[in-house]
Amino acid sequence: MKPVIALTKGRLEKQFLAFFESLGYDVEPLRDKGRKLQIETKEFSFFFAKGVDVTTYVENGIADIGVVGGDILVEHQPDVYNLFPLPFGHCRMALATKADYQWPGRKKRIASTFTRITKEYFKEKGESVDIIRLEGSVELAPILGLADAIVDIVETGTTLKENGLVIEDEFFSFSARLIANRSSLKIKRDQLVPVIERFKEGVKQG
Amino acid sequence: MFLPSGSQDETGVQISNRLKASEVFRLVAEQRNFKPITTPVVEYAATFTNDIAGMDLHSMLKWFNGEGEIEVLRPDWTAAIARAIAGQPPSEQKWSYQGSVFRFDKAEKESRQAGIEIVHAERFYGEAESLLTAIAYLQRLDITSYVLELGHTGIFEAIIAPYSFTKEQEQQLLQAMHDKRADLVEEIALIHEDAELASSLISLIDAYGSRDIIEQYRRKWSARQNLLAILDHIEQLIDLLEASGVTEVIVDLGRVKNLPYYDGIMFRAFLTNDGSTCFSGGRYDKLYEQFQQRISAVGLAFDVDILAKHMKPASEVVKSCIIASPATHAVAEAYRAELEGQVVDIQYQLETPANYQTIYEVIEENGQYKVVKL
Repeated sequence: MKPVIALTKGRLEKQFLAFFESLGYDVEPLRDKGRKLQIETKEFSFFFAKGVDVTTYVENGIADIGVVGGDILVEHQPDVYNLFPLPFGHCRMALATKADYQWPGRKKRIASTFTRITKEYFKEKGESVDIIRLEGSVELAPILGLADAIVDIVETGTTLKENGLVIEDEFFSFSARLIANRSSLKIKRDQLVPVIERFKEGVKQG
Repeated sequence: MFLPSGSQDETGVQISNRLKASEVFRLVAEQRNFKPITTPVVEYAATFTNDIAGMDLHSMLKWFNGEGEIEVLRPDWTAAIARAIAGQPPSEQKWSYQGSVFRFDKAEKESRQAGIEIVHAERFYGEAESLLTAIAYLQRLDITSYVLELGHTGIFEAIIAPYSFTKEQEQQLLQAMHDKRADLVEEIALIHEDAELASSLISLIDAYGSRDIIEQYRRKWSARQNLLAILDHIEQLIDLLEASGVTEVIVDLGRVKNLPYYDGIMFRAFLTNDGSTCFSGGRYDKLYEQFQQRISAVGLAFDVDILAKHMKPASEVVKSCIIASPATHAVAEAYRAELEGQVVDIQYQLETPANYQTIYEVIEENGQYKVVKL
């Protein structure tokens, strides 16, 4: 059976394809996939999912290896081998609020998709906050008055700027990472190690 | 009424396989002179969360009792058995157990385990007997396609011993090794600006595979007697396993303990068709230090739910039905006893004849009841 690779849709997808192609693999079937979520190539079986779902598929052994953002791994802490960083998908975690915002005297309200990371960040700072979980477009929360600030990933900062938000602090930087299922790595070693080694070579050259 | 997430009702093949797995385990354990032991389902959290047992309270199903102490549903058998037998006389003991463990951090809150614990036994004997019991049990269940992995807590510990990491750094390094996370291992190892330590640990991450790995590391560690002794030990167990018919044995020299009480050899088996772990265990002498005892303790636990899922279906048994009535039920019951080795149903009205290979009926003839085959 071919190795099964789970890939994160969207942000990381194009960057992965460029990286994968640089390793000498044929990526045409992946580029021409249209809306298909599963693609078979000569060497691999691929499927595409949301980042957090990639970790779930790998943890449960549906995929042998996966490519996912480091932010997802820190937030969700799946039980997988978190092998090494890949040379794309760079981003950082930031605390942002409205420009010239006057912080209230009460306990702060922070909106985020990354509630675990937010909790740990404020714990490190020794500050109690209320965290409001949002699923997306978190930039809206301070603008509409739901929260005082947000904790979110930032790539270029353009979205924040366009929504009138400024970065107060940056505290983590991430990239995409290669993960592997704990037992697949052992029982499919002969199939997976050559692929992983090729990824490693690509990282060194990248 | 609904069920909470992580709980489920069960019927059919899964439950009959599990009952069979339990019965076979009881027989195998009894034949090998293990004595059964059980501990209560409700225990104090401290039995599992103390510094030596080291389990995470978050993953336990817990509540406060009337005195304000935290009680939990048993999350682990080994720590509970250690508590139960700590006061026993210091002579060799072989215990077997079966029952549920409860955890929040698993897909199913309740899972069933069957396991063995061997204490106060000669060290190699205890490990060999644990592994051979596991092999015998899997064989009796006709589960033959698995990969058995050996590791040892002493390798990582010996490599980092000369360096003074803080407790927090050591914990981070342990977790990074557990995750085979090369970049973080390197970052932590380089705290001591020792490139050799970083490169040793990073290469250890990839030191898994067939027993050939042991030869490579024997050359690498030729001047390190403590590490060579560990490799000898692992190799001795591989020889034993291979001589006992286990064909797929692998090693992971970079494996680290995921519970603080592990203290020496660690073993587990992956089923080859889906990679699930069907048993795991190892040496945990340290667990008894909380009772001021320094003893030999080794054991392993099977995941009975996983075994039940992978057991082959039982060979087809003939199913028969006897059609009776309230007046003839006793006659049908007497005839049922004669159909030894068959599954025999008694029904007053036969609605699904296709379910049975043979159908009988109790009829009245000359004032006498008799059973006839239809």
